[in-house]
Amino acid sequence: MAAVASPAQAMSRASPPRKPVDPFRAGQYVMLVVVVLAADLPLLFMILSAFRTEAANKQYPPSVDADTLTLDNFTSLFGTYGFGQYLQNSLVVSGLATAGVVILGTIAAYALSRFDFLPLRVMGRLAIVAYLVPPILILVPVTQVIFGAGLGDNLIALAALYTAVFLPFALWMLRSYFQGVAIQLEEAAMVDGCTRFGAFRRVVIPISVPGVITAAIFTFAAAWSEYLYASTLMTSTSNLTANPATYLLMGHYGTTSAGLLMAAGLVIVAPVVVLYLVAQRWLVSGLAAGAVKG
Amino acid sequence: MAVIGTRVRAPRRPAMSDRRLALLLAAPAAALLALFVVYPFLTALLNSFADVDAASGRRTFIGIDNFVTIGSDPDLRAAFGRTVVWTVSNMVLQVCLGVLVALLLNARLRGQGLARGLVLFPYMVPAIVVALMFRYMFNDVTGLANYVLLDLGLIDAPLGWLSDPDVIMVTLVLVNVWKYTPFFVIVVLARLQTIPRDLYEAVSIDGGGRWAGLRAVTLPSILPVLLVAMLLRTIWTAYDFDIPYLLSAGGGPSGSAVTVPLAIRSLAFESGSIGQASALAVCMALLLIASAWVYLRGFNERTHV
Repeated sequence: MAAVASPAQAMSRASPPRKPVDPFRAGQYVMLVVVVLAADLPLLFMILSAFRTEAANKQYPPSVDADTLTLDNFTSLFGTYGFGQYLQNSLVVSGLATAGVVILGTIAAYALSRFDFLPLRVMGRLAIVAYLVPPILILVPVTQVIFGAGLGDNLIALAALYTAVFLPFALWMLRSYFQGVAIQLEEAAMVDGCTRFGAFRRVVIPISVPGVITAAIFTFAAAWSEYLYASTLMTSTSNLTANPATYLLMGHYGTTSAGLLMAAGLVIVAPVVVLYLVAQRWLVSGLAAGAVKG
Repeated sequence: MAVIGTRVRAPRRPAMSDRRLALLLAAPAAALLALFVVYPFLTALLNSFADVDAASGRRTFIGIDNFVTIGSDPDLRAAFGRTVVWTVSNMVLQVCLGVLVALLLNARLRGQGLARGLVLFPYMVPAIVVALMFRYMFNDVTGLANYVLLDLGLIDAPLGWLSDPDVIMVTLVLVNVWKYTPFFVIVVLARLQTIPRDLYEAVSIDGGGRWAGLRAVTLPSILPVLLVAMLLRTIWTAYDFDIPYLLSAGGGPSGSAVTVPLAIRSLAFESGSIGQASALAVCMALLLIASAWVYLRGFNERTHV
């Protein structure tokens, strides 16, 4: 591996004389293609199926020809099956949860990054534990709490729950982000007459925008993908978010066409993919720092 | 940085003490965590020792009866066994594949940047979409998977990927590996990129080849992050509800895909046995704490060398 990486070789890339093909290198390229195909072919197959007629999707042997493209699956998804309502519910819940996590997470993370005394230290530990606690472990009592308060089947309550569930990750991510912001900047602002909070608002926040955006994207994607709590807490059809609604559609598989289901899948995955593409650079470094529960 | 030059305003409000400000800033988040995580967690603990009325939530303490009941239930034992197999096989496959793919993506191949992005996609796909895609591809009769494998002569008869009780767990593990291997790829890749190239050159000067470089430099460097990632993923895999439930459409034929998380939910919401569901959750939590302890001990030993 060292030979491959030597500077001489890196330079030789620009110069024409061809080297004999290294079989190890060739094998690596083959593997790379295999890995990429394994990762992405299922997605491509879903996209293709979403745009094909029922007849084309049902034919056996399966074919990947694309001569019968149609938008029928989407028109019936949004028309007959009223999927727009579920997407709207998902959007409301994920949006509110993202706002909640970003606001509460930012101010709490600032406190945790700048002060170190007992109550805050306890809270920091608490957030780690909360991050590790799997949803199924607390599903039953959470359901009791929410239904006990008469807030079952309530999108706002679901958003509040999501805020709590996705807060720990954002808290720790933002905390380490704030720790990277030099404290001298704030002190300078405070010398110039800012209050501590003013320094936070005018100096730390503007510098930390990339970190805050990353936290927001993670939270939105996680809330948008959540199934377990949503399916347990939402009892009326009109309040379902897109994921449990799609599971109900899936239950009618046979009466529901494959193309329709794939269209639903595509509509759900699209926003996540778009966010991911927009913020890819930040996401990869953020993911390396930890990960969204999932 | 014009903001730093903010002027002193004439009548300055008395500044709140920093301590109080910090507490005030942290309070809303702390309250939310207490309400939705700590309180439910403690409630689950209490419920595990009680007979809980599903409608009113009233507890009658019955000692360890719930634990005895779940310990003697053959279905729950089977679910527990499945969870162990599910978790271990997922971890082994994901770690091995994840490291291999990360090495591949760090080997300075052409198109590496694009490939890195493409390989990470499965991790972003919501569980419900994963279930949709693979239920379609793994359909016994019309699915693409059977067709391709039959066509290539790898299998003689169509496999009941999701309909055969003996096969379904294998299918679930494969799909879960597809979705979560990118997590290990990301974590390992991030670490690989920080290894200085001269370390490998030192190995090759000492006469070592690729294998020596891998053993002497690469593996020791990635091991700490790998262990932390394994700890996190072990917890979330053991407790994962979404993929097993959605892909098997509720637990598979005759409950052949029911893992502990699925059993917990059906005990609580279908049988109304909240106490037993909580006891099951507590047992799982204890086991995971034990495995976390083992991991962390390994972690400390490795890093203190």
